[in-house]
Order: sequence, then C-alpha cells, then structure tokens
Amino acid sequence: MLWKRQIPILIVAVIGSITLFGWFINEPNIKSFVDDDATQWFDILASFAIFLGGFNLLKMQLQKIFRRQRGWQYSIFAIAGFFLAITAGFFYKGNPDVAWGTHVTADGTLFKWIFTYMFAPLQATMFALLAFFVASASYRAFRIRNFEATLLLVSGIIIMIGRVPLGSFISSWFILYLLVLIGGITVNSFFKNKQYTAIFVIVGIIVVTAAGSSLGWPLDQPGILYLPYLQEWIYKYPNVAGARSIMMGIGMGIFATSIRYILGIEKSYIGE
Amino acid sequence: MKFLTDLILKMGTVDRRWIFLVIALVVIIPLFFPLGLPIRATATTQYVYDTIDALPHGSKVLVSCEYGPSTKPEIHPMVLSVMRHLFKNKHKVYVTCLWPDGQFLASDALNLVARDEYGLTYGEDYVLLGFRPGNEAVVKGIVSDLRKLYTIDAKGTKITEIPMMEGVNRFEDFDFLFSASAGYPGTIEWVQYAVDPTNVPMSTGTTSIQVNDVMPYVSAGQIQGILAGMPGAAEYEALIGVPGIGTSGMDAQSIAHLVIVLFIVLGNIGYFIERNRSKKY
Amino acid sequence: MFGEIFGAWVAVFLTFAIFSFLYKDNPFYKIAEHIFVGVSAGYWTSMFFWTQIQPNLFGRLWPSTHYSDGIWYGVYDLFGFISSSIFPAGGIDKGHELHFSYLIPFALGIMMLLSLFKKLNWFARWGIAYTVGMAAGLRAYGFLNSNVILQIKGTIIPLLDPDLPFFSLLGDSHFNNLVILVGTVTGLLYFFFSKEQTGNFGKVTRVGIYFLMISFGASFGFAVMGRISLLIGRFTDLITYNDASYHHATIWVLVIMVAILGYSTFTDKGNSETDVS
Repeated sequence: MLWKRQIPILIVAVIGSITLFGWFINEPNIKSFVDDDATQWFDILASFAIFLGGFNLLKMQLQKIFRRQRGWQYSIFAIAGFFLAITAGFFYKGNPDVAWGTHVTADGTLFKWIFTYMFAPLQATMFALLAFFVASASYRAFRIRNFEATLLLVSGIIIMIGRVPLGSFISSWFILYLLVLIGGITVNSFFKNKQYTAIFVIVGIIVVTAAGSSLGWPLDQPGILYLPYLQEWIYKYPNVAGARSIMMGIGMGIFATSIRYILGIEKSYIGE
Repeated sequence: MKFLTDLILKMGTVDRRWIFLVIALVVIIPLFFPLGLPIRATATTQYVYDTIDALPHGSKVLVSCEYGPSTKPEIHPMVLSVMRHLFKNKHKVYVTCLWPDGQFLASDALNLVARDEYGLTYGEDYVLLGFRPGNEAVVKGIVSDLRKLYTIDAKGTKITEIPMMEGVNRFEDFDFLFSASAGYPGTIEWVQYAVDPTNVPMSTGTTSIQVNDVMPYVSAGQIQGILAGMPGAAEYEALIGVPGIGTSGMDAQSIAHLVIVLFIVLGNIGYFIERNRSKKY
Repeated sequence: MFGEIFGAWVAVFLTFAIFSFLYKDNPFYKIAEHIFVGVSAGYWTSMFFWTQIQPNLFGRLWPSTHYSDGIWYGVYDLFGFISSSIFPAGGIDKGHELHFSYLIPFALGIMMLLSLFKKLNWFARWGIAYTVGMAAGLRAYGFLNSNVILQIKGTIIPLLDPDLPFFSLLGDSHFNNLVILVGTVTGLLYFFFSKEQTGNFGKVTRVGIYFLMISFGASFGFAVMGRISLLIGRFTDLITYNDASYHHATIWVLVIMVAILGYSTFTDKGNSETDVS
C-alpha cells in the first residue's frame, strides 16, 4: 500500500510544490534543479511513457493474433509497420554517411522515407477525412431551432465567407437585398398576410435600389454589411469576449485542479 | 411550388456519399482551374508583418515549429513566408520544434528557403536546434538555460561549435519569437511560460481550429498578431509578394466554403418546410 | 530515384485507402489504419529515443569526458558490445558532464516499462506521479498568470478615451471596448452556477450566452476552414504524384481501387439478392 499509494502521492506533492514555488524562490540550487534537472527528468520520463505506449500496442496486437480475435489479420500489418519503423530507427540507416542519432532527421535515410511516404500521408489523410464529415454534418444536422442557434449559424457563415477571397466580391447591396427578403419572410410569419408581405418586399427593393443607384453601387458600402469588414469586427470583438470568458473559466479550473493534485485531494493518476 | 418544396425535402434524405462527392469536386476543380481571386490581408496578419518588418536588421529570431504532416497545408506555407521575410531582412534564425514531426518539416523549410533560395550558411545565418520532448518543460528549459537543453543541434554538432550560438544562453537573448503552432504544445505554452514572464515579443501562426483559443492573447497584447490558418498564410504570401501553396489553395477554399454555406441554407429551408407541414397536419 | 517513385505509389495507395472509408468500411481502409498505428508507434519510439534518451540520459550517465576503465564504464562497454550505435566506443559525446542523479529518472523509466507485466502494473505510478506533479506545478502558475490575470488586464480597456471614436468597424472605439467588457463579464457570469440563473441575473447571463454563441459560431467557421485546408493539401499532393515522373501513380491507383471496390460491392449485392431468393 505504501509503495502503491502513499509514495506516488508524496512524489506529486513534493515535486508539484517545488515546481510551483520554484517560480517565486530565487535560491540558486532550487532554481537550478527546477529549471534544469527537473525539466530534463520530465522529458526523460515523457520519452519512457512513449516507449510504454509503443510496447503496449505491440503486446495488444500480438495478443489479438495469438487469440485469433476478430480482425486479427489486420494486426499483422500493425506489427509489420511497427517493426519497419523500429528497423529504420535502430538497425538500418539507409544512408551510410549519416551518424546514428542524426539519422532520424537527416535526408536520404530509410527513417525519412518512412516519414515522407507513409507516416505523413497517413496522418494527413486521416485528418482530411474530417472535411467531408463536417460538410455532411452541416447539411444534415445544423438547424436553426432557436435564437441562440441562429446567432451561432449567422456568425459562422459570416466568418466562413468573409475570411476567404470570395467574400470580398460579395457586395453589401446583395446582403441588403437578402435582408429585405428575410424581412419579408419574417413579416409573413407574423402577419400571415400576403399583401403586407408583398408591400414590404417591394418597398424594400425600391429603397435599396434607389440608395444603391444614387451612391453608385460601391462594393464595400455600407461597411457594416460588407462581409470582410463585418467578419473582422465579429472576430475581434464579440468573438474575443466569448472566447476570453471561456479561457478565464478554464484557467481558473486548471489552477484549482493543479492545486488539488499537489495537495493530494485529486488522485486519479493512481486510479482513485 | 410544391414540386420545389418536395425536391428540397428529398434532397434532405440524400445518401451522404453524394455530399462527399460534391465536396471532393468543389475542392479539386479549382485546383485544376484556378480563379485567381485577389487576396486582401486582414488586420491581424498585417500586424504580424509590421512587427517582423520593424525588427532591427540582424535580430536574433527564434522560430518554433510545432506542427506535423496533418496540419502541413495550413502551417507550412506560413513558415516558408515568415522565413523568407526574416532572411530578406537579414535576421539570424534559430529553429526549435516542440513536436517531433516538426523537425522534418522545419528542415525541409530551411533547406528550401535558407539554403536553396537565399544561399545562406548553416551555423552562421540559421540553425536547426531540433526537437526535444517534454512539452511545456522544454519551453521552461529554453527560458532558463537553453544550452543545458540543447547541447547539440539537429545535425549532432555541439552548440559550442556553432558560431551564431555565441551569446545565446536563454530565451531572453532572443529579440523575437514566431511560433508556428498546430496545437499542444505550442503557442499557448510559449505565451504562458516564455513570453509573459520575460516580455520578449511574439507573433504566431496557428491552424484555423486553434485561432479562437489564441485570439484573447492577441487582443490582450500578449501576442502581436496572428496568421489564421491557410487564409492567413495566403495573406502573408501576398504581403511578401511570393505566392505559394497558401495562395493556390484559396480559390478551392472559397468555393468549398460557399458550397457548405449553401448546404446549410438548403438544410434549414428543408427543416422549415417540414416543420410547417407537420404544424399544418 | 526508385525510392521516390516507389514511395509516391505507396503514399498514393495509403491516401486512397483511407479515403475509401468514405464509400464504406473496407479492407483497404483497415489495412491502412493498422499500418498507421504500427508505423506511428515505431516512429515516435525511435524519435524520442534518439533525441532524448540517448543524448540526454545516457549522455549524462556515460559522457565521453569521464571515460575510464572502472566498473561504471565497464557496464557501458558491455552495453556497447550489444549495440555500438547506441553506446559508441569511448562514451557518448554530447557535451554533458557525469550526473549520477540521472539514475533516478532512469530507474523511474524502467519501472514504467516493467508495468507492462500485470503483476508489476503499479510500477508506472511513480513515474506518472513525477510527471503529474511537475505538470501541476507548471500549469498552476502558467494558467493563472496568462489565462486569468493578464486576460483581466486585457479586459480593462478605456471606455471614455476622448481620442477614440464612438464606433469604428475596423479599429478600437468606445462601442467596441464596451462590447468586449460586457461580453467577457456576462460570459463569465454565465459560468457561475452557484446562483440560480433567474430574474435579472438570468437576463444578464442570457446576454452572456449570446456572446458565447457568437464565439462558438466563429469557432465552427474556423473549424470548417481548417478541415477544408487539410483536404486541399491532400489533393495537392495527389495531383503532384499524378505527374509523369511518378508514372501517373494517382490515376492508376484510383482506377484499380475503384474497380476492386466496385466489383466487391457488385458481388455483395448479388450474394444478398441470391440469399433473399
């Protein structure tokens, strides 16, 4: 129990306290330990955690093969891929002019080949798949059910169109006509009178056309309806306000959780 | 009218694979037939450009590459553009990586820009310090004592034997930081553990997903401007006058965005039609 | 050159194998997925070993500057007999001094690896505890300073500065500063769950929700932008690999894969119709 519970909690408390107070203490030995050696030890343990993950993967895939679990044939590919990368990393450089150690970053090595033609395309394509799913989800699931969803949708659309070059070609007057149309739909849903709707839309079109003609149809005026300007305003002001409040909330939460770990109240890392 | 509403409702039940096909086509066709839409720099991109342009010639600039192949289309073009800008203004560029994959990509960028385009000398004009694992602990290590963390560079050369490393011992010895970041660890860790404690100025380029997480820092003045995703990279390419991968992708980006917006609008029109019909009956 | 051409075909095959998931789950996708898992694990293991463990751990335990004929370097020479690439003759020359204190992270690291065995599962706790403690100490300060205190400072902006206009679309103004202040405060109030959000307080938090929704909408817009950018990147690479110098890898792999998937769909449909009859 002492080895499995108390000592890990003590390690967290001691190391956490030294690291936290190391920000405020100017004692050279403590500062040297916190800033240099403790950091290096952290890096070393992070590396061992990666090795643990790699070996765990190997263990699970081998178990799948030996127990002939469903899809065990594909595990052969996983293990083959793993050993190919390990061979390139530890046994075969592919470029005799490169020293061991720098072969993981140098050109012309098997390791670089695996990175360029296997790892990179696989990783990039996995993420690129999401573009299709986001488009499908937007079409099938994104619905204006209430005012909040409308705000979300409108700000999303303005950012999407306003931030790309195409947005610069959409005139403010097009947006005005669009607003007249949306106004007409709103009037219709409130009054349910086709006459009122028609009058509203016709008058709106006439007013917008007259204003546009008199001003010479400038692309970016009125500025508030020019998408690039509007998205810039949304991006820098109301968006930042919302993002900042989220950031501050998360920041306070992380501070509180870190203190809980250091004080030994939070013990999830030992499974409690 | 009924035909139109029925058609819209029917489109709402279409197999999603047709949507995938449409997206694939609207992205690939503009790559073959570019529209050449002009690119206008936004204020935050201009701010990054102006900040870098205002650095005195010969400044020591730390460029940190924390991105991988999955985010290369967004971040790599901005790294290339920023490097071109830095080398044009004759700054000394030191490159670190908080992500392991970032090292290969940083090496490719330096080879293309510093070595091939500008004919600069490794170790005198630019150096690739390389990747070190440890996330924010690495940032902290760079702040306190860079030489303890990096005893050799990415090529295995001792730091003490690299001429441009003379006088560079800690983060405060740099004049500017540019972080090209795709997530954790990245921009946020640089702000928290390096920039805020030391007040060394910093700009950043991030993936589009990360922009909203970083904008409050930009607004508060902790970061001097941000290059937001591929559009940000394209804007920076336009500012330095060297179009690249970012610019070539913007036509496809524009059309794809328009199509997705149309999808959303169509989907909602279908939703309202269905809602009205169910209210009626 | 052969390596490049072969690599291009491998890259194109793996790309289309992953994309084939959009049609349906199939063996091509499963093979590519498993290769990705295996190669990633091996890649990261090699990378972390050669950039951290060998130079910074072994380089501090057996630096070349302290090489001698004693027991300690005798152990090193034994390791060197097993692998001269990891333990080159004469010690590891990475510019470090000898630090026996690095036996501590070495021991913790070995304990982490031994946790692979079920009975020694708890061995990893010590190493994990060290990383958790260190991360907690770093983050407590980092997040409080940068994400809370400096953000509060950033929110305290002039509302009555005579040099600023009342409203400006692209620059600072009284209205814009007010929007930031009101949005941040009401957004924070929304996250205060110790008081019931009704009455006037409820109205204020509702305003907060509106600002959060605008922020989420902007995040959605940026998310779509990011995903499309990644797709553009993949297609750009596929177009590059369709060049004659790569023997039109893209088109050949696409045709073969579509043919195989199409044939398998056709035979599956035929089998299911036969079953029904």
